[in-house]
Formats: sequence, C-alpha cells, structure tokens
Amino acid sequence: MKRSRLDDTPDEPATTPKKARTDSYGSDDEIATLQSTQATPSKRQTRSILKDTPRKANGATSVAVNGIANGLPNAVPNGLAKGDETPRSQRKVLFSTPTHTREEDKINGTPTVVRNADRSARRKSARRLLERNISDNLSDEEDLDGEDVLARQIWDEDEGSEDEVPGIAEEDLDAVVPDTPSKRGRGRPKKDPTQIKRRKRSPTPPQNLPPHEQYFFQNRPGGTKTSSNTLSSLSLLNHEDYFAQLKAYTDPHADAKGFLQDLHARSFDQWAFELRSGFNICLYGWGSKRELVMKFAGNLHHTLDTPPKIVVVNGYTSTLTLRDILSTLASQIVPKSAKLPAQPPALLDLLLSTLSTSSSPAPLTLLIHSLDAPPLRRLSTQAAIARLAAHPAIRLLATDDTPTFPLLWDLSLRAQLNFLFHDCTTFADHSVEVDAVEEVNSLLGRSGRRIGGRDGVGYVLRSLPENARSLFRILVAEQLAASEPESSHNANGDAAPDPNRDGDGVDDGMREPPTPSRRRRTPAADGADAATAVEYRLLYHKAVEEFVCSSEMAFRTLLKEFHDHQMVETRRDGLGAEVLWVPFRRDELEALLEELVG
Amino acid sequence: MSASSRPQEVLSKVDAATVESIRAFVTSTSIGQLGLKLPTGLVVAGPSIASHGQFFENLAKALATDARSTCVKLTSDEATNLKNLLKTLIKKATSRNPDLDEDEDEDRDLVRRKGPKLLNYDLQILYNWSKEQSTDRVIVAFQDSEAFDGALLAETVELLHSWLDRIPFVLLFGIATSIENFHDKLPRSAIRCLEGAQFDVVRADEVLEQVFQKTIDNDNIPIWLGPSLCGMLLDRQKDHIQSVRASVDALKYAYMSHFFANPLSMFLQKDVTFKNVPKDHFEAIRNLPSFRRYAEDCLELGEGELVRSMLQDDQSLFEQITQNLTSGQQVMHQIVNTVELLFVIRNHIPRIADLSRSALYVKAVAGELDMQSPIMRDLLLSVKKSSSDVLSALLEDVVALDNKKLSSAVMKLQAQLKRLLDSSQGTSTPLRSEHHLHHSTLRTTVVAQKVELRKQKSNLSKKDSAYSEFLKQFYDLIEIYFSDTLINPKDLFLHEVFLYDLKSPHRDVFMPKPRFAIERALSAPHDYLDCECCVPAGGGLDEATLSSTQPATAILYQLYLESGSLINVSDLWSAFNAILNDDGDFDEAQVMALFQRSLAELKYMGFIKSSRKKADHVAKVAWKGL
Repeated sequence: MKRSRLDDTPDEPATTPKKARTDSYGSDDEIATLQSTQATPSKRQTRSILKDTPRKANGATSVAVNGIANGLPNAVPNGLAKGDETPRSQRKVLFSTPTHTREEDKINGTPTVVRNADRSARRKSARRLLERNISDNLSDEEDLDGEDVLARQIWDEDEGSEDEVPGIAEEDLDAVVPDTPSKRGRGRPKKDPTQIKRRKRSPTPPQNLPPHEQYFFQNRPGGTKTSSNTLSSLSLLNHEDYFAQLKAYTDPHADAKGFLQDLHARSFDQWAFELRSGFNICLYGWGSKRELVMKFAGNLHHTLDTPPKIVVVNGYTSTLTLRDILSTLASQIVPKSAKLPAQPPALLDLLLSTLSTSSSPAPLTLLIHSLDAPPLRRLSTQAAIARLAAHPAIRLLATDDTPTFPLLWDLSLRAQLNFLFHDCTTFADHSVEVDAVEEVNSLLGRSGRRIGGRDGVGYVLRSLPENARSLFRILVAEQLAASEPESSHNANGDAAPDPNRDGDGVDDGMREPPTPSRRRRTPAADGADAATAVEYRLLYHKAVEEFVCSSEMAFRTLLKEFHDHQMVETRRDGLGAEVLWVPFRRDELEALLEELVG
Repeated sequence: MSASSRPQEVLSKVDAATVESIRAFVTSTSIGQLGLKLPTGLVVAGPSIASHGQFFENLAKALATDARSTCVKLTSDEATNLKNLLKTLIKKATSRNPDLDEDEDEDRDLVRRKGPKLLNYDLQILYNWSKEQSTDRVIVAFQDSEAFDGALLAETVELLHSWLDRIPFVLLFGIATSIENFHDKLPRSAIRCLEGAQFDVVRADEVLEQVFQKTIDNDNIPIWLGPSLCGMLLDRQKDHIQSVRASVDALKYAYMSHFFANPLSMFLQKDVTFKNVPKDHFEAIRNLPSFRRYAEDCLELGEGELVRSMLQDDQSLFEQITQNLTSGQQVMHQIVNTVELLFVIRNHIPRIADLSRSALYVKAVAGELDMQSPIMRDLLLSVKKSSSDVLSALLEDVVALDNKKLSSAVMKLQAQLKRLLDSSQGTSTPLRSEHHLHHSTLRTTVVAQKVELRKQKSNLSKKDSAYSEFLKQFYDLIEIYFSDTLINPKDLFLHEVFLYDLKSPHRDVFMPKPRFAIERALSAPHDYLDCECCVPAGGGLDEATLSSTQPATAILYQLYLESGSLINVSDLWSAFNAILNDDGDFDEAQVMALFQRSLAELKYMGFIKSSRKKADHVAKVAWKGL
C-alpha cells in the first residue's frame, strides 16, 4: 500500500519521501515539514501527543491495531486506515531526519540534536521491529515493507558501530529471533522465504575475532540461543543405508589424497632409519593414518633383508586391553613353552627381562594405530607402553588422531617414549576407526545404539512368541497415548516442526504442569521418554484383559525378555510405583506400532 | 654413530662420580657399624625430574654389580599405601635373581611353605629370603620422595627400622627440591631412625654444558652445529625442563638428518675418493651459494683460470673441495678454541656478564663476535685495564689451554710478566696499567657555561708504565688473534657441508603442533590437498573460505567454528546440506551419509560431545586457535 504510494510520486518536485507523503496526507503537510527541519525531540513529543493520544495511552492496543492494519490492509475501511496510519507517517518523518543533518547543522549548529534524533530513531526502529515480529505470523506479505527495511537499516547501523549493544531492545530481539548459529554462514542458497527473512534479521556476528574473543563471544551469557528444530530420526541412516550411500559416493579428492599418501610414503626410508637409530615415531595430523602405517609395515617387511618381527595393535578397538597387547608381544618374544603370568605388570616385567637377557635380540617393530584412542588412554596403559618403547629392542611407531594427544604424557613418559613427530595429514576417512552410525546415534542420544535401532527391535520381536509381541504392542500403544496430549510442546516426541511453536523450548515449563515437565527434562538427552512411561500395574491389567498372559509370573517372564534386549526400561516414579517405557522417540514408536499391527 | 655415543659417554661419566660415591657410602655401611639407625642416602637430584629415572637406573645397575646386595627401586605410583609398598618391595627384592630356574624357584617356595603361610606383605618373607641368599644389604631407593605421602613414608621408615636388626636395610631418597623440604615432610620419630649422608647429582644444565662442549670440541668431529639450531636446542632445554638425554637425542638427530638428507655430507668421509663420488654431487656443489661466492672472490683475485677449471673439471673441483673442507674444518676448530679462550679470559675479568661456553659458541658461529661487537669491545677494554695480579692468573690459564697458535707467545709474555713482578717485589699493591681508573683523574672545567670533563693521566710510576707497555703487547696479541679466528663461518666455501643449521626439521620433529595441524587441515584443506577445486577465493591468504567442493568434514568443521557453544544438529544438518547440495547433484541420503561420517569424526577428534541441555544438541568443546 505504502510502497505503491511512494512509487506513484517519483516525479514530484520535492523528491524527499516526506514530501511525497505530504500529498497523501494533506492536512499533515505543514506540521510534518516543520518538524523535519527543526527536529527537536520536544517538538516531536508535543506533536505525537497531539496526534496519537489514544495510541500512546496503551501501547499494546496500538501494536495490535498496527498488526491488523498491516495484515489486512484492504479489509479496513479507508478512513479508518488513514487514521491509524498517521502515527506511522510521523515515524517516517523521523527516520528521514538524518538525511537533513547537514541542513540542521547549519541552522542550529548543535550536533546533539542529531544524536538525539538518531537515538530516538533507533529506539523506534527497535520497537518497530518488535512489533513486526510479533505480528509476524499474521502478515508475512507486508514484511519487506519499506518502513521495515528502513528500521532494519537503522538498527543494523547502530549494531555495527557499537560493540556492546546495551538495552533491552536487543535482548527482546534475540528472544524473538532465534539465533541459529548454523544459519549464519556465508553465501548459502535461499531455500524458503521464512528462512531468508530470519537470517536477514539475526544480527551478524562480528567477523575476524581473535580466538580468545571468539571464545568469549560464543560463550557469552544468553548467547546460546538455538532453535528447537529436531532431526527426524528417520532421516538418519542406519548401517545398511549408510554403507550403501558411501559406496556410491565418489570422492572428488581421491587424487589429491592419493598424492598426499605417496608424499608420506616417500619418507618410509627416513622412518626406518629413525627407528633403527633408537627413536620412536609418532604420526599425527588429520585423517586416518592406518593405511599409511600398514603400507609402511609392508615396506619394512619387503625391503629389509631379514624381515623384522612386526606387531600391529589396533588401538581404536573398543575392547582392547593392555593384557591383549602384552600377550601378543609375548607370543613373539617369549618362547612358547614358558608360562605367562596373568597380571599385566608381571607380564611386562617378564617381557622386558626376556628382551634384556637374550643375547642378540632381534628388534621388534611395534605399530600402534591410534595410541590416543579411549581404550589406551589410561595412565597405566600409557606408562606400560612407554616402558616398552623405552627398551632398545622395541621400535615403536604410533599414530595419534586427536589434536590434544600430547596431554596424555607427562615429562617422564614423554622422555621414555622418545618420540619423533611427523605430520602425516592424509585426509583419509576414519572408516575403520569410527563407527559413524553408532557414534552419531550416541551423540544425539538416540536409543539405537543399544539394540540396533527400530530394525533391531523388529528382529527381536519376530523371534518372540505371539504373546510377547502383543504385550509389546500394548506397551507401545499405551506409551503413544500417554504422550499424545503434550505432543506439540514435546521437543523429544515431535518430528515434524510445528509452525505455531514459539521457537524456544525454554518456557515449556510454564505452560505445562510442573511435574511432567520436570520428569521429562531429566532423561531428555537419552531419547527415552520417562514422562510417557506406562505404569506396571496398568500394563499388567491391560495384558490380562487382552489375554496376553494369565498370571503375573508369565507377565514378568515376558517383560524379562524385553529387558534382556534392552527394549524396555523401568524405574520408579515419584510415588514409588514402577513404570515402564520403550526407549524410542515418538516417530519411531509410531513406525513400530504400525509394524506390529500390520 | 660415533657422534652420538660421545655425549652418552659424557652422560654416564657425569653420573658416574655421584653413583660411585653413593656406592662407596652403601658398601661402607654394615649393620654393626651404625648401630640401630637406618643408613640413608639423600640424593639431591635437582628439579629436572625427567632425568631422575635415568639416574636411578644407572645407580641400580651400579649397585647391582655387587652380588651380595639387592637394590629395590620404588616409585610413588607403585606404593599407594603401606601394604602395596611392602608388597612391591618384597616382590621386587625376591624376584631379583634372574639366574634362578622356574623349577628351582618352586622348590624354594616349597621349602618356605614349611612354616606358617605368610601374607605377601609380610617382611618375614624378605627376611627368609635374605637369610637364604645371605645378603649383605637390601637397598631401598625411593625415586621420587616428594610424591610419596608423608605419613606413608614415615610409617615405612619406622617399620623398616624395626626390622633393621634382622634385615640389613639401606635407604636412598631421591630429592628434587631440598633436604630441608624432605626434613619437614617426615615427623621427628621417623627422622630419628635415619642416619644419612647427602649426595648432589650434577645439575642438568651443567651436564648439558659438558655434553655440548664434547660435541663441538674434538679433533675428529666432521661437522658443527650452526647458531640458530644450537640456540634453539639450548633454549628448549631451558624452557622445558627436560632431561639431558632429550637434548642429546636432539643433537643426535641433528647429525642424523645432516647425513641422511644432505648428499654432500659424503665429502665428509675421511676415505672419500674421486672415483666413488657420483657426478651429480659435483653439480650440486656448483649450485651451492657458497660456491658462487667463492668463485666470485676468485675472479676478483684474478684467478679466472681456477674458476674455469672448477666449473668444467670435476677432478679439480674435487681437489678444491677436499682442500677447502679441511681448511674450513680448521677454521671451525679455531673458532671453538677461541671460544674457550674467551671463556677463560672472561672468567678472570671481574664485573662482566656471565655467559656460558655454549652461549659464546652460538654467538661466535653466528658471526656476532667480531671486533665491533659490544662483547668483544668490553672484553678488550677490561683487559686493557686489568692489573697485574689478574693478568698473571689469566696468563697461567691461557697457557694451560695449550692453544697452538698462542701458547708460545703467551709463554714468553708470562716470563716477561714474572720478571716485571719480581722486580717490583717490595710493593704490596699490584701493578696497574695506564688505562686503569686509578691512574686517571677527572678534571672539571667550566668553559663558556659548559662543564667539560677531561680525563688526565696522572703520572705513572716507572714500573706501572713498564707494565702498561707489557699489557699493550698482550692486548695486541689477543686482538690480532681474535680478529683472525672469529670469522663468520657462513662466509666460508662449503659451509653447507660442515655446518648444519636447519631449524625446521627439529622444530617439526621435537616440538610438533598437532592441534594447529589438524585445525589447519580442516579449516583450509586446500593447503594440504592442493586441488584445483578448492582454491580459496580472493587469493585466499589466511581467511579460509567455505565451498562445496571441500571435504565433507572440513565443511562441517567450518560450520562448527561459526556456531556458539551449543549446536543444534538439525540446523547444522540443514546448513551442511545446503552447502554440499549447492548444485543439487547429490542425493539427500548421500549427503546424510557424509554428514553422519563427518559428525562422527568430529566427535572422535574430541571437538564435540553430546549435550543434555536440549534434544538433538551437541556441545562445542574446542575453539580454534586457543
């Protein structure tokens, strides 16, 4: 509406916007011009009192009215609309004042006037933005209104010029516009209009901060506002799909990575020489170094006249123990007939003494993949490896993946290890070291890690008798029913984003009865939803009703099966009653139920 | 590797003196002699904890040579409480004898089992064992006494003391701080049980100085370390309190990398002949910057013919090389000798900043000790001012240095000085030179409102002037000597061959920056991959740019860098998908596979961890560059 009006009068003699408007609001004309040229705050005050007394009296209604006016411009009768629009026109006049600053300076010679005007403009623009955000849902169309753009501009200008933006306005804005960090990136394709709009409004983070400033910026109080979007668990791939997709994927950097490998492979001779000279080697850098090390082992084996004994330890294997390493070593060093002690320290002593006493020990090359992997991180393990490494008859080549691995070793361990470090950035995937599907599931607290996801449950159920399946169906159905009424506010149970949701889960607790929300919050990260749990008694009665079981004994037996497969979790609720639930999210439960019924 | 064995020798030799004195102390003790007190050796090993292990190992080895004593080394992590301590003590002591066969051992066990079954922390076991072995003494060494719990230590001492009449214990405590500190740690009752002697281990920096001296000052060494590398090594030793062994290893690595990576090092072999040098080595020599300079110098001297033959004829180049190598090595020797001389002279001159030999060497090799440098000017001025008593002591030491170039001249001077001193026997004050402060007075005059200071030589006594004359001779001698020998070795032809001064392999190999490497690889993958697709836009100096062609984990990492401390994985996914699926040529499931892998890798790297704050959120753990 407004825009078109502005467009209509481009060839007016006076080209300033305020002039253009004067035509449309005939009676305002004189006062508006007067005000813009003098622009003292007091003047403005008087004028606004004159003109919008009803608006000022209660801001809330004016906001609402404004919103309606925005949203339904045509529905409102003409005269009414005009009356309502007047304050907006006045605001526009205010915004145009900065363009006249030079003139004013000449007249008044007081820059404070300008500053006051600016500050006021800023305050108003904040208010404007707020209003617009509140009325957001109603009027998406009018969003790119000229006024809004202007308001945003003023806001952004100030944002840029001030380091710390004080005032409530900023916080309000933050609260309304969820500060989604991942959305702030550069040059992303514009997907849907709401996203574009949001990104435009979220204040741009300061660029090129030094690392420490970056840290404090990202950890500032209230700075961690993220949206409550959740990842639909159906979009996460299971093992089968994951590997199929990766197999189909062709790495565009395969050549470059191959080149990197070759580059590192060229220093094999150097590494062999360094190992021979009594040093141990540690390889670090981004990318899996497993393949490279295995190549090196092959190279060692083929190039030397008397192939050395090579022992390879896969440190990333989660069940690896020090004992495994030592007994493997012992099988190479100690004669087969000897009895091996059971305790690792004793075994280590035996190994070292065997190595020291044998007259001309053939050096043993020990290759350890991922020396910093969790199974090897314990101090005692590292100390044992260091003692091994310090022995002249053992040549150690280890790889380290994490960026902070030197923290594993103190001064004396480091001295024992006697490492030479080589940067071996390979960019290779950690496909062996990391089980991506499991890791992501456990990272996001999805229950899948326990029984292999929904598929796993289906598999287990198929192998169970009919009764058990029925019981499980009842449990799942009950649980779904229990979660039904609150689903729109339940961040866990809801896969599809609700358009009416207010973007921040913080005030959940206020809208819901306090107990369930508190209960829900504790296991939230686990994906398990104890709030929707089903009481043991209730479930038992339901089961009896449906002739799933006849006695509590039988009921227990059925449940035990579920427990063994970790398909069901139990605990006591606040009243001491035993409750049961299936540790899955809502969408998964629904899918499960479908499977069970179908 | 003769080069590396030499420092090792020094290391063991340095420790040997202390070890020997401890051994003497230990062997001198016997039960009757000390009555009812535990003989104790307090080994003050200094703050460089890393070298303690080495020292105690040496010590244990030395003590083990005596067949009739047993040495048990205890560290704090083996002894969390008294029971554990005793267990390890007994186990280590009784399993000490490796000659025993397993069967025999079991027989012994049987013999022992005749009595009542003993708990494995009962010192009775040790007593039985020591009786069987007829051990003279059981040495218990506490390597890191500071780390032991004070109460535990006290208990142990008292317990061992109570067994002293049966088991001949000798205690050794390794102390990193001070005896006083150790004293405070034990209660009086425990201290009363001890009777000890103190042993000082040579401090790490002194050992390093000796090792260093050994590596530069020897007739047989073919190469020397350059100033920047040396400086780095010494600084590293100072900054990180590491064991001397680490420094020795670093030295060794320097030699290794020189001989491994520099093919020209083959000319350093003593028996190298023209025939067994490959042709391309001569080409390499001709490409050296120092060769170029040498050729230019020759041309300036009008020896065009020599340059031509060097460029065209390998044989004559080879001759030049051998000549220049030996002369270059001689120059290096002289520099080292001069450094020694400098050090000696500086030692005798009062009020002069303390500089170690190694620091002087670094300066000398860097060419910072020419006649204009403040260090040399100060030194020469001080020599000029020195009095006869200082000078005579100085001369004595200089003669003792046995410097081939100087000794005869210095000896002559020494004789001269002796005569001079003999003739002035009566006076008690030493002779002073004309430059000595004593001999000049300041006269102030006011000329045209300005104060003028004028130095005036007061009249010298006859002897003093004779001494001044003599001092001038000495001064001239050393000045000429210094300016002759202290040349910058980097001006020499073939310095690339006999002077190793590369910092970068050392820095990379001993002081890695793994975190930086990984962060760089992820935030600027082009630096490593050097592919055409990921060339950063706008010249890409250091600001990494995000592009869809980069490896998936790199993209995710950069998104991760932009986020706050709590990350919504769903939003992260949509951003990731938006970037990677820029052109829409990927299947969403495929992008999801990449996303899952990248996320898992970030977790594996320890960049993110799961968060309990909100659903589907992860917490950021690492910040780049911090």
